[in-house]
Amino acid sequence: MVDHISLPLKIAAGLVFAFLIAPSLIVIPMSFSDSREIMFPPSGFSWMLYREYFAGPEWVAATIESTLVATGVTALSLATGVPVAYALVRSRLFGVAIIRAFVMMPMLVPTIVFALGLYIYFARLGISGSTLALILGHSVHNLPFVVLVVIAGLRQVNPNIEVAAQVLGASVLRVFFSVVLPMIAGPIAAAGMFSFLISFDEVVIAWFLSSPRTMTLPIKMYSSIQWEVSPVLAAISTLLTLLSLVICVLGVALRRPEA
Amino acid sequence: MSAVSAASVADATHGRARRAAPDYQKAWFSAPAVVLIAAVFVIPLVIVALQSLYREGFTIAGYEQILGSTLFWRILRTTLEITLEASLLSLLLGYPLAYYIAQLDRTPRAIAMILVLLPFWTSILVKSFAFIVILGEQGIIKTMLRQFLSLELGTSLVFNRIGVMVGMVHFLIPFCVFPILNNLLAQPPELRRAALIMGASRRQVFFRVTFLLSLPAIVASAIMTVVLSIGVFVTPALLGGRRDMMVANLIDYYTREALDWTMAAALAVMLLLISGALIRVLSRVDSIDRH
Repeated sequence: MVDHISLPLKIAAGLVFAFLIAPSLIVIPMSFSDSREIMFPPSGFSWMLYREYFAGPEWVAATIESTLVATGVTALSLATGVPVAYALVRSRLFGVAIIRAFVMMPMLVPTIVFALGLYIYFARLGISGSTLALILGHSVHNLPFVVLVVIAGLRQVNPNIEVAAQVLGASVLRVFFSVVLPMIAGPIAAAGMFSFLISFDEVVIAWFLSSPRTMTLPIKMYSSIQWEVSPVLAAISTLLTLLSLVICVLGVALRRPEA
Repeated sequence: MSAVSAASVADATHGRARRAAPDYQKAWFSAPAVVLIAAVFVIPLVIVALQSLYREGFTIAGYEQILGSTLFWRILRTTLEITLEASLLSLLLGYPLAYYIAQLDRTPRAIAMILVLLPFWTSILVKSFAFIVILGEQGIIKTMLRQFLSLELGTSLVFNRIGVMVGMVHFLIPFCVFPILNNLLAQPPELRRAALIMGASRRQVFFRVTFLLSLPAIVASAIMTVVLSIGVFVTPALLGGRRDMMVANLIDYYTREALDWTMAAALAVMLLLISGALIRVLSRVDSIDRH
């Protein structure tokens, strides 16, 4: 769609871009500050805040916990999300539309409502505050997202390739594992990285489900912003922005399935 | 995995119906996800509904207390105000941005997309921290105004409604840009060309063709922004003041401070009903447009 771009539109777009990017850019210079006081521009260059982050046992423990949870979530949300995406795209059975609505539900329910439900439920089951509880909660939260990305990938794959494999005698399972999965490896990898990142950054569910023992990085950051606004946050924010940038660029590149 | 055995069972029993069999078997691939959603999503929601009616026996005291409290009505009002204002503002800012990106060539468009995707993928905590640094008393904006214009702003820019709106709009804009951009790119250019040939001005082409055709995407964005902002929790807690508490923060308060799960659950049910009602109203608008 190439029309004419008027000057006011250009200016408006430029301002909105600046607004969108400003927070990500501002944390970078702040993270190299040589003073514990939060000010802009920083008075000098140093790695002090990064050293403080990597030397802080609480920060390191929270980062490890978040990595653990996000890894489990990636595995579980892919193991459930990829097969259901396949069923939703390829099965024309009556009832598939209902399954689709069922699986997409977590997207339409405010996260706080779901988080409260999990909090009460897991307390009753006696697994509240555990890493498992966090993995289960985040996996459901991410599932609709994984399904949407994988569905988009599957839609670009020619279904006749699967029919050919089936005619040649492959079972439904064999078709899925040996034909379908390799063709959508890119979108699956993208969905997995997105799922990892969403879980790694998720606050609301983690706020309700984590205990001091399983405190995730966002929860540690949340309390830190709430109580003291520690300058270490600038270093962590820069690292997180870097992670987001890498995953967002890789994800865009991987979403197209291989022909 | 249960799908594996399930699929082989389906294979054995429905092997005869050759044409229907693959569809039937493929449907079994949804089993793991359905089990997960049922066990970790549906049950917790049912528990919230039951908990809202339970306090040492069946009771509707939770709902009575909520409907009778002035605090709730004030917070609900704040929540709806912030939801509607933030949704409207992010559509107003997101639409021109999507329109601009739609006009770009391939490569600049890819770069523009990354500029929208990056904030979308950035942790809400990183953004909240950054906005405190930007908007605070010793923050960038106030310092710059002081140094270059020797201007002292009377109002604070953060820990009040301004801070909440800045944080919310920043969070919501990408959710408006993506659906609208997809819609604009999918519109056949012939329609605009035809309108131009028939003598329409550029302004008329925009308002009577492009904009009207993009209404479904605007509604889709609005639904997304409403769902996302009505249950928002982090932004008002970190960028707002005491008066900007939203329903989600009240639920948190009852759950973790007051330890009153009945109240918390009743509030959650009300929030769910309100957001469901808003989604319904907005989808109605969408179906009216299409007919």
